[in-house]
Amino acid sequence: MYSDTLSHLVRDNYLIARLRGNRSRLLGRQQLFALSESKSQTEIIGLLAEGPYGPELSKLGVGFADSVMSLSRASGGDTRDFLVQYRRRFDAYSVASLVVFKAQGKTWDEYLTTRLPLALMKEQELHRLYSLDDLSIIAREAGDRHLVNRVKGFSIADIEGEKASLVRDVISGWGEERFYKHIDEKMSGSDRMNCLPIAGSAIDMANLTIIIRSKLIGASGVRDHLIPSHWKLNQRAIDQLLAAADATQALEAAASHEYYGRILSGARQKYEESKSLSFIEVALRRYQLDLSRRLFLGFPYSVGIVLAFLVLKENEARNLAAVLAGVAAGLPTDELRSLLAIQE
Amino acid sequence: MAVDCSALSSVTLCPTFWAGLGAGLSVLLSAIGAGLGIGISGPAIAGAGVERPEVMLKTFIATILAEALAIYGLVVGLLSVFDITPALTIEKGVRIFAAGLTMGAAALGAGFGIGAAGSAMASATAEKPEIFSRAVISLILAEALAIYALVTGLLLLFTGAT
Repeated sequence: MYSDTLSHLVRDNYLIARLRGNRSRLLGRQQLFALSESKSQTEIIGLLAEGPYGPELSKLGVGFADSVMSLSRASGGDTRDFLVQYRRRFDAYSVASLVVFKAQGKTWDEYLTTRLPLALMKEQELHRLYSLDDLSIIAREAGDRHLVNRVKGFSIADIEGEKASLVRDVISGWGEERFYKHIDEKMSGSDRMNCLPIAGSAIDMANLTIIIRSKLIGASGVRDHLIPSHWKLNQRAIDQLLAAADATQALEAAASHEYYGRILSGARQKYEESKSLSFIEVALRRYQLDLSRRLFLGFPYSVGIVLAFLVLKENEARNLAAVLAGVAAGLPTDELRSLLAIQE
Repeated sequence: MAVDCSALSSVTLCPTFWAGLGAGLSVLLSAIGAGLGIGISGPAIAGAGVERPEVMLKTFIATILAEALAIYGLVVGLLSVFDITPALTIEKGVRIFAAGLTMGAAALGAGFGIGAAGSAMASATAEKPEIFSRAVISLILAEALAIYALVTGLLLLFTGAT
């Protein structure tokens, strides 16, 4: 444990100083609220130009990716391995969105415009996957036997609506699990202790989303699609969720969970108001923001600080994307703000 | 009373041996301490400078304080060397050794402290430049450890038997 701390102190202090400097430039609550009141995307761009994003406004879309890649270049040893594993999550997101795009009959060029710059998979590799029509072959080529088993029962031809979202959740969840396993199995001491709650809550929420969505579409064999690892949503809690008669009952069970109850309180009401499960993602992001804030207040020499910064930066990117999409869609300000995860 | 080292059965009874070892340790350990201080805080200062060039000069104080440790060690080392004469007594030799060891060991500890505290100070200043004046206090306290040793070392050198 002490050797880990010493190695971070000696090797990662350059990186830690840089990300702390970067943290001061993240958009705050007031700035995001001001953006959410904008009437158009042009107005948002204008407001951003006045703030810390001014100098890099031209590359706003890849700002988050640039930050991660710059940190990756400045890192070494196990911190660099950690950042590679963090980026592999985006491979899972890329494959998930590739499957959904294919199922929707969209072209490769349409998919390419949405490609995530942080993903490690090359364009050529993705193009080859896009040419495949069998989901299990795509899962085998892009992932492993675990992913193949989890997407069993789905085929590209019949993925639409909530089912497409379910497949996306299953594939993204597989990526989250891979990241969680790296932290759980390859890291130790304070690094593991600091990172596990963030990665662990992500897999728990992924499982919760898969169960609720399966109930919404009445899918069978849900257990086969779940992530076998868990953090606080243990087997007993999962059995309880699976036993629920419908999605609303499952949401009530989730809201009374001993650990996640506080972040999922009023889940049923939120779902009935929005008819969407996006509130789970927002609740998870708020929870992870809180964990990250606490990590920044603690001892500075740990990989936890790096992950905490990445959570804040990723959240900022998602908030900005929500504001841009919400303003473009003409969402009322209150509704738009409910989609933002902002630190209390 | 001067001691003829060539007539001694063991080198450990020779005052010149102890005085020379003390002078050497003072310079060597202080230099290692300064190296640690600069080596640990330097990258953090560079990182802070990349994100906020305006704070780089302020945060540079950590490397200056670390460099001062080597100067303290050099001062004690040189003063010790000047005291090594044929008339050196065993008591004075051991005092010079104690002075050198005190200075060197304290500088080594202070160097690590300055490195760790300086690194955290640079990171914190990069995030919130307004906290620099408070963050620098821990750095000054780490430097004070070496100053205590310098004072003790000088007292050991300049007081007592010749």
